[in-house]
Amino acid sequence: MAKFMFLLRGGNCDQERSPEEMQQSMQAWGEWMQNGTDAGWLLDPGTGLTSEGRVVQEDGRVIDGPFAESKEWVGGYCIVQANDLDAAAGIAKSMPQAGAAIEVRELMVHDAE
Amino acid sequence: MGEGRSTEPQQLIEHFFRHESARLISVLTRAFGVRYLDLVEEKVQEALARAVEAWRFGGVPSNPSGWIYRVARHLVLDALRREKIHRRAMALSQQTEEGLTSLLDEWMDDDQVPDSLLRMVFVCAHPALERRSQLALTLKVLCGFSLAEIARGLLTTVESAKKRVQRAKKTLARSGVRTDLPAEGELKQRLAAVHDVLYLLFNEGYSTTRGHGPLRDEMCEEAARLCHLLCEQPSLSTPETRALLALMLAHSSRLAARVDADGDAVLLADQDRTLWDRRLISAAQYWLDRSKTERPGRFHFQAAISLVHCRARTPDATDWPQIVALYDRLMTAEASPIYALNRAIALGESGDVDRALAELESVRTSPELRDYALVDCAAGRLHELRGDPGAARRHYDAALQATPAAHSRRIIKRRIAALEPRGLRIDKPS
Repeated sequence: MAKFMFLLRGGNCDQERSPEEMQQSMQAWGEWMQNGTDAGWLLDPGTGLTSEGRVVQEDGRVIDGPFAESKEWVGGYCIVQANDLDAAAGIAKSMPQAGAAIEVRELMVHDAE
Repeated sequence: MGEGRSTEPQQLIEHFFRHESARLISVLTRAFGVRYLDLVEEKVQEALARAVEAWRFGGVPSNPSGWIYRVARHLVLDALRREKIHRRAMALSQQTEEGLTSLLDEWMDDDQVPDSLLRMVFVCAHPALERRSQLALTLKVLCGFSLAEIARGLLTTVESAKKRVQRAKKTLARSGVRTDLPAEGELKQRLAAVHDVLYLLFNEGYSTTRGHGPLRDEMCEEAARLCHLLCEQPSLSTPETRALLALMLAHSSRLAARVDADGDAVLLADQDRTLWDRRLISAAQYWLDRSKTERPGRFHFQAAISLVHCRARTPDATDWPQIVALYDRLMTAEASPIYALNRAIALGESGDVDRALAELESVRTSPELRDYALVDCAAGRLHELRGDPGAARRHYDAALQATPAAHSRRIIKRRIAALEPRGLRIDKPS
Protein backbone atom coordinates (compact mmCIF):
# COMPACT_ATOMS: atom_id res chain seq x y z
CA MET A 1 0.00 0.00 0.00
CA ALA A 2 1.21 3.47 -0.85
CA LYS A 3 0.39 6.70 0.89
CA PHE A 4 -1.15 9.66 -0.85
CA MET A 5 -1.73 13.24 0.06
CA PHE A 6 -4.94 14.92 -1.05
CA LEU A 7 -4.48 18.62 -1.57
CA LEU A 8 -7.76 20.46 -1.69
CA ARG A 9 -7.51 23.35 -4.07
CA GLY A 10 -10.20 25.97 -4.02
CA GLY A 11 -10.91 28.63 -1.46
CA ASN A 12 -13.97 29.45 0.43
CA CYS A 13 -16.87 28.42 -1.75
CA ASP A 14 -19.59 28.75 0.85
CA GLN A 15 -20.63 32.35 0.35
CA GLU A 16 -23.60 31.44 -1.80
CA ARG A 17 -24.68 28.38 0.07
CA SER A 18 -27.50 28.42 2.55
CA PRO A 19 -26.82 27.46 6.17
CA GLU A 20 -28.81 24.29 5.61
CA GLU A 21 -26.71 23.32 2.59
CA MET A 22 -23.54 24.01 4.53
CA GLN A 23 -24.67 21.70 7.28
CA GLN A 24 -25.56 18.99 4.78
CA SER A 25 -22.18 19.23 3.11
CA MET A 26 -20.45 19.00 6.48
CA GLN A 27 -22.54 16.00 7.35
CA ALA A 28 -21.56 14.32 4.10
CA TRP A 29 -17.93 15.15 4.73
CA GLY A 30 -18.09 13.73 8.24
CA GLU A 31 -19.57 10.50 6.93
CA TRP A 32 -16.86 10.25 4.29
CA MET A 33 -14.16 10.66 6.94
CA GLN A 34 -15.86 8.15 9.20
CA ASN A 35 -16.03 5.64 6.34
CA GLY A 36 -12.35 6.16 5.69
CA THR A 37 -11.44 5.68 9.32
CA ASP A 38 -13.58 2.56 9.65
CA ALA A 39 -12.30 1.06 6.39
CA GLY A 40 -8.73 1.98 7.26
CA TRP A 41 -7.81 3.96 4.14
CA LEU A 42 -7.87 7.33 5.88
CA LEU A 43 -4.51 7.61 7.63
CA ASP A 44 -4.72 11.25 8.67
CA PRO A 45 -7.87 13.36 8.37
CA GLY A 46 -5.58 16.34 8.01
CA THR A 47 -6.71 19.86 8.52
CA GLY A 48 -7.96 22.95 6.76
CA LEU A 49 -5.77 25.94 6.08
CA THR A 50 -6.86 29.53 6.60
CA SER A 51 -6.79 31.87 3.64
CA GLU A 52 -4.17 34.18 5.13
CA GLY A 53 -0.45 33.56 4.86
CA ARG A 54 3.00 34.90 4.09
CA VAL A 55 5.30 33.91 1.30
CA VAL A 56 9.05 34.09 1.93
CA GLN A 57 10.64 34.53 -1.47
CA GLU A 58 14.06 33.29 -2.65
CA ASP A 59 15.61 36.67 -2.00
CA GLY A 60 14.28 36.69 1.53
CA ARG A 61 11.52 39.16 0.93
CA VAL A 62 8.32 38.38 2.76
CA ILE A 63 5.08 39.12 0.99
CA ASP A 64 1.51 38.83 2.13
CA GLY A 65 -0.82 36.07 1.21
CA PRO A 66 -0.51 32.83 -0.70
CA PHE A 67 0.78 33.09 -4.24
CA ALA A 68 -1.99 31.65 -6.19
CA GLU A 69 -5.36 32.78 -7.34
CA SER A 70 -8.01 31.93 -4.79
CA LYS A 71 -9.12 29.09 -7.05
CA GLU A 72 -5.70 27.52 -6.64
CA TRP A 73 -5.28 27.95 -2.91
CA VAL A 74 -4.60 24.87 -0.95
CA GLY A 75 -7.53 24.91 1.44
CA GLY A 76 -6.69 21.72 3.28
CA TYR A 77 -5.15 18.29 3.07
CA CYS A 78 -5.53 14.74 4.25
CA ILE A 79 -3.55 11.52 3.84
CA VAL A 80 -4.93 8.21 2.63
CA GLN A 81 -3.51 4.87 1.68
CA ALA A 82 -4.34 2.98 -1.49
CA ASN A 83 -2.87 0.39 -3.86
CA ASP A 84 -1.95 2.86 -6.54
CA LEU A 85 -2.58 6.32 -7.90
CA ASP A 86 -5.75 5.27 -9.69
CA ALA A 87 -7.23 3.75 -6.57
CA ALA A 88 -6.33 6.91 -4.65
CA ALA A 89 -7.99 9.04 -7.31
CA GLY A 90 -11.06 6.84 -6.93
CA ILE A 91 -11.15 7.64 -3.23
CA ALA A 92 -10.72 11.35 -4.00
CA LYS A 93 -13.64 11.12 -6.37
CA SER A 94 -15.88 9.87 -3.58
CA MET A 95 -15.11 12.96 -1.52
CA PRO A 96 -18.23 15.07 -1.03
CA GLN A 97 -16.52 18.24 -2.08
CA ALA A 98 -18.37 20.92 -4.00
CA GLY A 99 -16.40 23.49 -5.89
CA ALA A 100 -12.84 22.42 -5.16
CA ALA A 101 -10.34 20.37 -7.10
CA ILE A 102 -8.44 17.62 -5.34
CA GLU A 103 -4.81 17.07 -6.22
CA VAL A 104 -3.71 13.53 -5.47
CA ARG A 105 0.04 13.08 -4.86
CA GLU A 106 1.92 9.99 -3.78
CA LEU A 107 4.26 10.37 -0.80
CA MET A 108 7.84 9.33 -1.57
CA VAL A 109 9.14 6.41 0.44
CA HIS A 110 12.86 6.54 1.25
CA ASP A 111 13.47 3.64 3.56
CA ALA A 112 12.31 0.67 1.58
CA GLU A 113 12.19 -2.48 3.66
CA MET B 1 -7.66 17.83 16.63
CA GLY B 2 -7.93 14.80 14.40
CA GLU B 3 -7.80 12.05 16.98
CA GLY B 4 -11.25 12.70 18.41
CA ARG B 5 -12.83 11.64 15.17
CA SER B 6 -12.21 7.92 15.35
CA THR B 7 -14.00 7.61 18.68
CA GLU B 8 -17.24 9.55 18.61
CA PRO B 9 -17.61 12.52 16.31
CA GLN B 10 -19.66 15.32 17.79
CA GLN B 11 -22.94 15.58 15.92
CA LEU B 12 -24.70 18.82 15.12
CA ILE B 13 -28.37 19.01 15.94
CA GLU B 14 -30.77 19.27 13.02
CA HIS B 15 -30.86 22.71 11.36
CA PHE B 16 -28.04 23.87 13.64
CA PHE B 17 -26.53 26.24 11.06
CA ARG B 18 -29.88 27.66 10.09
CA HIS B 19 -30.87 28.47 13.64
CA GLU B 20 -27.39 29.61 14.60
CA SER B 21 -27.56 32.08 11.73
CA ALA B 22 -30.84 33.48 13.11
CA ARG B 23 -29.48 33.72 16.65
CA LEU B 24 -26.28 35.48 15.62
CA ILE B 25 -27.95 37.91 13.24
CA SER B 26 -30.51 38.82 15.89
CA VAL B 27 -28.01 39.35 18.70
CA LEU B 28 -25.43 41.20 16.60
CA THR B 29 -28.06 43.42 14.99
CA ARG B 30 -29.44 44.22 18.39
CA ALA B 31 -25.97 45.37 19.42
CA PHE B 32 -24.97 47.30 16.31
CA GLY B 33 -28.35 48.49 15.08
CA VAL B 34 -30.68 47.65 12.22
CA ARG B 35 -28.67 49.87 9.88
CA TYR B 36 -25.89 47.25 10.00
CA LEU B 37 -28.19 44.31 9.38
CA ASP B 38 -26.72 43.81 5.92
CA LEU B 39 -23.15 43.76 7.17
CA VAL B 40 -24.04 41.53 10.08
CA GLU B 41 -25.76 39.05 7.77
CA GLU B 42 -22.76 38.92 5.46
CA LYS B 43 -20.34 38.33 8.32
CA VAL B 44 -22.48 35.67 9.94
CA GLN B 45 -22.57 33.86 6.62
CA GLU B 46 -18.79 34.11 6.45
CA ALA B 47 -18.45 32.78 10.00
CA LEU B 48 -20.62 29.79 9.11
CA ALA B 49 -18.50 29.15 6.02
CA ARG B 50 -15.36 29.23 8.15
CA ALA B 51 -16.90 26.78 10.55
CA VAL B 52 -17.51 24.39 7.67
CA GLU B 53 -13.91 24.74 6.51
CA ALA B 54 -12.50 24.15 9.98
CA TRP B 55 -14.85 21.49 11.28
CA ARG B 56 -14.87 19.18 8.34
CA PHE B 57 -11.26 18.34 9.08
CA GLY B 58 -11.04 18.68 12.81
CA GLY B 59 -14.55 17.67 13.72
CA VAL B 60 -17.17 19.73 15.48
CA PRO B 61 -15.81 21.43 18.62
CA SER B 62 -17.46 20.84 21.97
CA ASN B 63 -19.16 24.25 21.87
CA PRO B 64 -19.96 24.83 18.19
CA SER B 65 -22.25 27.74 18.93
CA GLY B 66 -19.59 29.60 20.90
CA TRP B 67 -17.03 28.92 18.16
CA ILE B 68 -19.11 30.51 15.42
CA TYR B 69 -20.14 33.37 17.68
CA ARG B 70 -16.53 34.34 18.41
CA VAL B 71 -15.65 34.25 14.72
CA ALA B 72 -18.73 36.27 13.74
CA ARG B 73 -18.13 38.85 16.46
CA HIS B 74 -14.54 39.25 15.35
CA LEU B 75 -15.53 39.56 11.68
CA VAL B 76 -18.16 42.21 12.37
CA LEU B 77 -15.93 44.30 14.63
CA ASP B 78 -13.09 43.95 12.16
CA ALA B 79 -15.27 45.05 9.24
CA LEU B 80 -16.57 48.05 11.16
CA ARG B 81 -13.03 49.08 12.08
CA ARG B 82 -11.80 48.72 8.52
CA GLU B 83 -14.60 50.70 7.02
CA LYS B 84 -13.82 53.55 9.39
CA ILE B 85 -17.41 53.67 10.44
CA HIS B 86 -16.45 52.02 13.64
CA ARG B 87 -16.28 55.16 15.71
CA ARG B 88 -19.63 56.29 14.43
CA ALA B 89 -21.18 52.93 15.15
CA MET B 90 -19.70 52.97 18.62
CA ALA B 91 -20.94 56.50 19.19
CA LEU B 92 -24.39 55.47 18.05
CA SER B 93 -24.48 52.50 20.34
CA GLN B 94 -23.01 54.65 23.15
CA GLN B 95 -20.69 51.81 24.08
CA THR B 96 -17.00 51.14 24.18
CA GLU B 97 -15.83 48.12 22.26
CA GLU B 98 -15.15 46.26 25.50
CA GLY B 99 -18.54 47.20 26.83
CA LEU B 100 -20.19 46.07 23.65
CA THR B 101 -18.32 42.78 23.64
CA SER B 102 -19.35 41.93 27.16
CA LEU B 103 -22.92 42.94 26.36
CA LEU B 104 -22.83 40.65 23.32
CA ASP B 105 -21.45 37.81 25.43
CA GLU B 106 -24.32 38.27 27.82
CA TRP B 107 -26.94 38.38 25.06
CA MET B 108 -25.53 35.21 23.51
CA ASP B 109 -26.36 33.35 26.70
CA ASP B 110 -28.96 30.67 25.91
CA ASP B 111 -31.49 32.24 28.26
CA GLN B 112 -31.06 35.63 26.67
CA VAL B 113 -31.12 34.73 22.98
CA PRO B 114 -34.93 34.46 22.70
CA ASP B 115 -35.21 38.11 23.68
CA SER B 116 -33.04 39.15 20.73
CA LEU B 117 -34.89 36.80 18.38
CA LEU B 118 -38.24 38.26 19.41
CA ARG B 119 -37.01 41.79 18.84
CA MET B 120 -35.98 40.70 15.38
CA VAL B 121 -39.40 39.12 14.78
CA PHE B 122 -40.92 42.56 15.29
CA VAL B 123 -38.31 44.23 13.09
CA CYS B 124 -39.08 41.83 10.23
CA ALA B 125 -42.83 42.39 10.61
CA HIS B 126 -42.38 46.16 10.82
CA PRO B 127 -45.30 48.18 9.38
CA ALA B 128 -42.89 50.16 7.16
CA LEU B 129 -42.54 46.99 5.04
CA GLU B 130 -44.94 45.40 2.60
CA ARG B 131 -46.37 42.10 3.69
CA ARG B 132 -44.46 40.03 1.07
CA SER B 133 -41.24 41.75 2.11
CA GLN B 134 -41.97 40.95 5.73
CA LEU B 135 -42.27 37.28 4.77
CA ALA B 136 -39.07 37.30 2.73
CA LEU B 137 -37.08 39.09 5.42
CA THR B 138 -38.38 36.80 8.16
CA LEU B 139 -37.27 33.78 6.15
CA LYS B 140 -33.87 35.33 5.51
CA VAL B 141 -33.07 36.67 8.95
CA LEU B 142 -34.99 34.45 11.36
CA CYS B 143 -35.17 31.16 9.50
CA GLY B 144 -31.71 31.21 7.91
CA PHE B 145 -33.08 30.67 4.40
CA SER B 146 -30.89 31.54 1.42
CA LEU B 147 -32.31 33.72 -1.34
CA ALA B 148 -32.71 30.61 -3.49
CA GLU B 149 -34.67 28.90 -0.73
CA ILE B 150 -36.83 32.01 -0.20
CA ALA B 151 -37.54 32.12 -3.92
CA ARG B 152 -38.63 28.48 -3.89
CA GLY B 153 -40.64 28.95 -0.71
CA LEU B 154 -42.50 32.05 -1.85
CA LEU B 155 -42.76 31.00 -5.50
CA THR B 156 -40.74 33.83 -6.93
CA THR B 157 -37.40 34.24 -8.69
CA VAL B 158 -34.08 34.49 -6.85
CA GLU B 159 -33.62 37.91 -8.39
CA SER B 160 -36.87 39.31 -7.06
CA ALA B 161 -36.39 37.67 -3.67
CA LYS B 162 -33.02 39.39 -3.54
CA LYS B 163 -34.50 42.75 -4.50
CA ARG B 164 -37.24 42.38 -1.94
CA VAL B 165 -34.83 41.59 0.88
CA GLN B 166 -32.42 44.36 -0.10
CA ARG B 167 -35.21 46.91 -0.36
CA ALA B 168 -36.64 45.83 2.97
CA LYS B 169 -33.28 46.32 4.68
CA LYS B 170 -32.90 49.76 3.14
CA THR B 171 -36.39 50.76 4.20
CA LEU B 172 -35.72 49.63 7.76
CA ALA B 173 -32.45 51.56 7.89
CA ARG B 174 -34.00 54.66 6.36
CA SER B 175 -36.95 54.56 8.74
CA GLY B 176 -34.58 54.37 11.68
CA VAL B 177 -36.24 51.19 12.93
CA ARG B 178 -34.85 50.02 16.24
CA THR B 179 -34.63 46.59 17.78
CA ASP B 180 -36.78 47.55 20.75
CA LEU B 181 -39.88 45.56 21.54
CA PRO B 182 -42.99 47.63 20.77
CA ALA B 183 -44.22 49.95 23.51
CA GLU B 184 -47.36 48.93 25.34
CA GLY B 185 -49.57 51.31 23.41
CA GLU B 186 -48.77 49.79 20.03
CA LEU B 187 -48.04 46.24 21.16
CA LYS B 188 -51.44 44.84 20.24
CA GLN B 189 -51.28 46.13 16.70
CA ARG B 190 -47.65 45.16 16.14
CA LEU B 191 -48.28 41.70 17.57
CA ALA B 192 -51.22 41.26 15.20
CA ALA B 193 -48.86 42.02 12.29
CA VAL B 194 -46.43 39.39 13.59
CA HIS B 195 -49.30 36.89 13.81
CA ASP B 196 -50.23 37.66 10.22
CA VAL B 197 -46.67 37.15 9.00
CA LEU B 198 -46.27 33.84 10.81
CA TYR B 199 -49.74 32.67 9.72
CA LEU B 200 -48.99 33.46 6.07
CA LEU B 201 -45.55 31.85 6.31
CA PHE B 202 -47.18 28.74 7.65
CA ASN B 203 -49.81 28.72 4.93
CA GLU B 204 -47.22 29.21 2.20
CA GLY B 205 -45.52 26.09 3.50
CA TYR B 206 -48.66 24.10 4.08
CA SER B 207 -50.49 24.77 0.86
CA THR B 208 -50.16 21.78 -1.43
CA THR B 209 -51.12 23.78 -4.52
CA ARG B 210 -47.64 25.26 -4.33
CA GLY B 211 -45.67 22.09 -4.76
CA HIS B 212 -44.06 19.92 -2.13
CA GLY B 213 -40.75 18.89 -0.69
CA PRO B 214 -38.91 19.22 2.60
CA LEU B 215 -38.54 22.99 2.22
CA ARG B 216 -42.30 23.48 2.46
CA ASP B 217 -42.56 21.38 5.63
CA GLU B 218 -39.63 23.32 7.03
CA MET B 219 -41.42 26.61 6.45
CA CYS B 220 -44.26 25.27 8.57
CA GLU B 221 -41.80 24.15 11.23
CA GLU B 222 -40.07 27.52 11.25
CA ALA B 223 -43.35 29.44 11.56
CA ALA B 224 -44.38 27.21 14.46
CA ARG B 225 -40.96 27.57 16.07
CA LEU B 226 -41.18 31.36 16.02
CA CYS B 227 -44.77 31.27 17.26
CA HIS B 228 -43.67 29.02 20.09
CA LEU B 229 -41.03 31.58 20.97
CA LEU B 230 -43.77 34.20 21.29
CA CYS B 231 -45.73 31.84 23.52
CA GLU B 232 -42.84 31.58 25.94
CA GLN B 233 -42.67 35.33 26.47
CA PRO B 234 -45.40 36.36 28.95
CA SER B 235 -46.12 39.76 27.38
CA LEU B 236 -46.50 38.22 23.91
CA SER B 237 -48.19 34.97 24.87
CA THR B 238 -51.72 36.29 24.35
CA PRO B 239 -54.74 34.03 23.73
CA GLU B 240 -54.36 34.81 20.00
CA THR B 241 -50.68 33.82 19.97
CA ARG B 242 -51.49 30.53 21.69
CA ALA B 243 -54.43 29.83 19.41
CA LEU B 244 -52.19 30.49 16.41
CA LEU B 245 -49.66 28.00 17.72
CA ALA B 246 -52.45 25.48 18.33
CA LEU B 247 -53.61 25.98 14.75
CA MET B 248 -50.10 25.46 13.35
CA LEU B 249 -49.49 22.35 15.45
CA ALA B 250 -52.86 20.81 14.59
CA HIS B 251 -52.26 21.32 10.88
CA SER B 252 -48.64 20.16 11.17
CA SER B 253 -49.82 16.84 12.57
CA ARG B 254 -51.03 16.07 9.02
CA LEU B 255 -47.92 17.23 7.16
CA ALA B 256 -46.74 13.73 6.34
CA ALA B 257 -50.19 12.57 5.22
CA ARG B 258 -51.15 15.52 3.05
CA VAL B 259 -49.07 14.52 0.01
CA ASP B 260 -48.58 11.13 -1.59
CA ALA B 261 -45.34 9.64 -2.90
CA ASP B 262 -45.71 11.60 -6.16
CA GLY B 263 -46.18 14.85 -4.30
CA ASP B 264 -49.88 15.07 -5.11
CA ALA B 265 -52.19 16.49 -2.48
CA VAL B 266 -54.20 13.90 -0.60
CA LEU B 267 -57.63 15.13 0.47
CA LEU B 268 -58.45 14.98 4.15
CA ALA B 269 -60.95 12.17 3.63
CA ASP B 270 -58.37 10.05 1.78
CA GLN B 271 -55.46 10.57 4.14
CA ASP B 272 -53.84 7.69 5.97
CA ARG B 273 -54.74 8.80 9.47
CA THR B 274 -52.16 6.55 11.07
CA LEU B 275 -49.60 8.99 9.64
CA TRP B 276 -51.02 11.83 11.68
CA ASP B 277 -48.63 12.88 14.41
CA ARG B 278 -50.42 12.25 17.73
CA ARG B 279 -47.75 14.13 19.64
CA LEU B 280 -48.44 17.31 17.67
CA ILE B 281 -52.18 16.84 18.07
CA SER B 282 -51.75 16.67 21.87
CA ALA B 283 -49.55 19.75 21.78
CA ALA B 284 -52.13 21.60 19.70
CA GLN B 285 -54.83 20.69 22.21
CA TYR B 286 -52.56 21.81 25.05
CA TRP B 287 -52.14 25.28 23.56
CA LEU B 288 -55.77 25.62 22.54
CA ASP B 289 -56.79 24.76 26.12
CA ARG B 290 -54.56 27.58 27.27
CA SER B 291 -55.89 30.14 24.80
CA LYS B 292 -59.21 30.82 26.50
CA THR B 293 -60.51 34.33 26.07
CA GLU B 294 -63.84 36.11 26.12
CA ARG B 295 -63.35 37.13 22.52
CA PRO B 296 -61.96 34.18 20.58
CA GLY B 297 -60.80 35.06 17.08
CA ARG B 298 -60.13 33.35 13.76
CA PHE B 299 -57.11 31.40 15.06
CA HIS B 300 -59.17 29.90 17.87
CA PHE B 301 -61.90 28.62 15.58
CA GLN B 302 -59.56 27.45 12.85
CA ALA B 303 -57.53 25.54 15.43
CA ALA B 304 -60.69 24.06 16.93
CA ILE B 305 -61.94 22.96 13.50
CA SER B 306 -58.59 21.42 12.69
CA LEU B 307 -58.64 19.53 15.98
CA VAL B 308 -62.12 18.14 15.36
CA HIS B 309 -60.67 16.51 12.24
CA CYS B 310 -57.63 15.35 14.21
CA ARG B 311 -59.85 13.57 16.71
CA ALA B 312 -61.71 11.53 14.07
CA ARG B 313 -60.01 8.18 13.59
CA THR B 314 -61.94 7.66 10.34
CA PRO B 315 -63.59 10.22 8.02
CA ASP B 316 -67.01 8.84 8.99
CA ALA B 317 -66.28 9.52 12.65
CA THR B 318 -65.92 13.25 11.98
CA ASP B 319 -68.18 15.41 14.13
CA TRP B 320 -69.54 17.47 11.22
CA PRO B 321 -72.27 19.30 13.17
CA GLN B 322 -69.58 20.61 15.50
CA ILE B 323 -67.52 21.76 12.54
CA VAL B 324 -70.55 23.61 11.13
CA ALA B 325 -71.06 25.31 14.48
CA LEU B 326 -67.40 26.30 14.62
CA TYR B 327 -67.55 27.74 11.09
CA ASP B 328 -70.56 29.80 12.18
CA ARG B 329 -68.53 31.30 14.98
CA LEU B 330 -65.46 31.72 12.79
CA MET B 331 -67.53 33.68 10.29
CA THR B 332 -68.73 36.06 12.95
CA ALA B 333 -65.08 36.69 13.86
CA GLU B 334 -63.99 37.11 10.24
CA ALA B 335 -66.17 36.98 7.14
CA SER B 336 -64.74 35.10 4.15
CA PRO B 337 -66.36 33.30 1.23
CA ILE B 338 -63.78 30.53 1.64
CA TYR B 339 -65.09 29.87 5.14
CA ALA B 340 -68.66 29.94 3.78
CA LEU B 341 -67.66 27.39 1.16
CA ASN B 342 -66.10 25.11 3.74
CA ARG B 343 -69.08 25.54 6.00
CA ALA B 344 -71.40 24.46 3.16
CA ILE B 345 -69.35 21.28 2.66
CA ALA B 346 -69.44 20.56 6.40
CA LEU B 347 -73.18 21.13 6.39
CA GLY B 348 -73.57 18.67 3.53
CA GLU B 349 -71.36 16.10 5.26
CA SER B 350 -73.46 16.46 8.38
CA GLY B 351 -76.56 15.45 6.39
CA ASP B 352 -78.24 18.67 5.31
CA VAL B 353 -77.28 18.50 1.64
CA ASP B 354 -80.11 20.62 0.25
CA ARG B 355 -79.39 23.56 2.49
CA ALA B 356 -75.69 23.13 1.83
CA LEU B 357 -76.28 23.36 -1.92
CA ALA B 358 -78.43 26.46 -1.48
CA GLU B 359 -75.69 28.11 0.57
CA LEU B 360 -73.08 27.14 -1.94
CA GLU B 361 -75.08 28.91 -4.65
CA SER B 362 -75.06 32.11 -2.63
CA VAL B 363 -71.28 31.88 -2.27
CA ARG B 364 -70.81 31.32 -5.99
CA THR B 365 -71.62 34.96 -6.74
CA SER B 366 -68.89 36.26 -4.47
CA PRO B 367 -66.19 37.90 -6.61
CA GLU B 368 -63.37 36.19 -4.68
CA LEU B 369 -64.66 32.79 -5.71
CA ARG B 370 -65.90 33.47 -9.21
CA ASP B 371 -62.92 31.90 -10.93
CA TYR B 372 -62.44 29.35 -8.28
CA ALA B 373 -62.92 25.74 -9.31
CA LEU B 374 -63.33 25.04 -5.60
CA VAL B 375 -67.03 25.92 -5.76
CA ASP B 376 -67.61 23.30 -8.43
CA CYS B 377 -65.55 20.77 -6.52
CA ALA B 378 -67.67 21.45 -3.45
CA ALA B 379 -70.87 21.20 -5.47
CA GLY B 380 -69.64 17.93 -6.95
CA ARG B 381 -69.02 16.54 -3.50
CA LEU B 382 -72.45 17.67 -2.26
CA HIS B 383 -74.23 16.02 -5.20
CA GLU B 384 -72.21 12.93 -4.50
CA LEU B 385 -73.48 12.96 -0.91
CA ARG B 386 -76.97 13.42 -2.24
CA GLY B 387 -76.62 10.28 -4.34
CA ASP B 388 -76.63 12.05 -7.71
CA PRO B 389 -73.44 11.02 -9.53
CA GLY B 390 -74.63 12.58 -12.80
CA ALA B 391 -74.83 16.06 -11.31
CA ALA B 392 -71.62 15.47 -9.40
CA ARG B 393 -69.90 14.54 -12.64
CA ARG B 394 -71.09 17.75 -14.34
CA HIS B 395 -69.65 19.88 -11.56
CA TYR B 396 -66.36 17.99 -11.45
CA ASP B 397 -66.08 18.38 -15.23
CA ALA B 398 -66.67 22.12 -14.87
CA ALA B 399 -64.00 22.28 -12.16
CA LEU B 400 -61.61 20.38 -14.42
CA GLN B 401 -62.19 22.90 -17.21
CA ALA B 402 -61.28 25.77 -14.92
CA THR B 403 -58.20 24.10 -13.44
CA PRO B 404 -54.92 24.34 -15.29
CA ALA B 405 -52.56 22.93 -12.61
CA ALA B 406 -51.76 19.32 -13.40
CA HIS B 407 -51.71 18.04 -9.84
CA SER B 408 -55.06 19.68 -9.02
CA ARG B 409 -56.50 18.10 -12.16
CA ARG B 410 -55.33 14.68 -11.03
CA ILE B 411 -57.20 15.11 -7.74
CA ILE B 412 -60.42 16.04 -9.53
CA LYS B 413 -60.01 13.16 -11.99
CA ARG B 414 -59.61 10.81 -9.08
CA ARG B 415 -62.91 12.07 -7.66
CA ILE B 416 -64.56 11.48 -11.02
CA ALA B 417 -63.18 7.96 -11.18
CA ALA B 418 -64.54 7.32 -7.70
CA LEU B 419 -68.04 8.19 -8.97
CA GLU B 420 -68.21 5.04 -11.11
CA PRO B 421 -70.66 2.48 -9.72
CA ARG B 422 -68.79 0.09 -7.50
CA GLY B 423 -69.58 -2.97 -9.58
CA LEU B 424 -67.93 -1.48 -12.63
CA ARG B 425 -64.82 -0.37 -10.86
CA ILE B 426 -61.79 -2.39 -11.62
CA ASP B 427 -60.37 -3.25 -8.26
CA LYS B 428 -56.67 -2.95 -7.76
CA PRO B 429 -55.02 -6.33 -7.27
CA SER B 430 -54.21 -6.64 -3.60
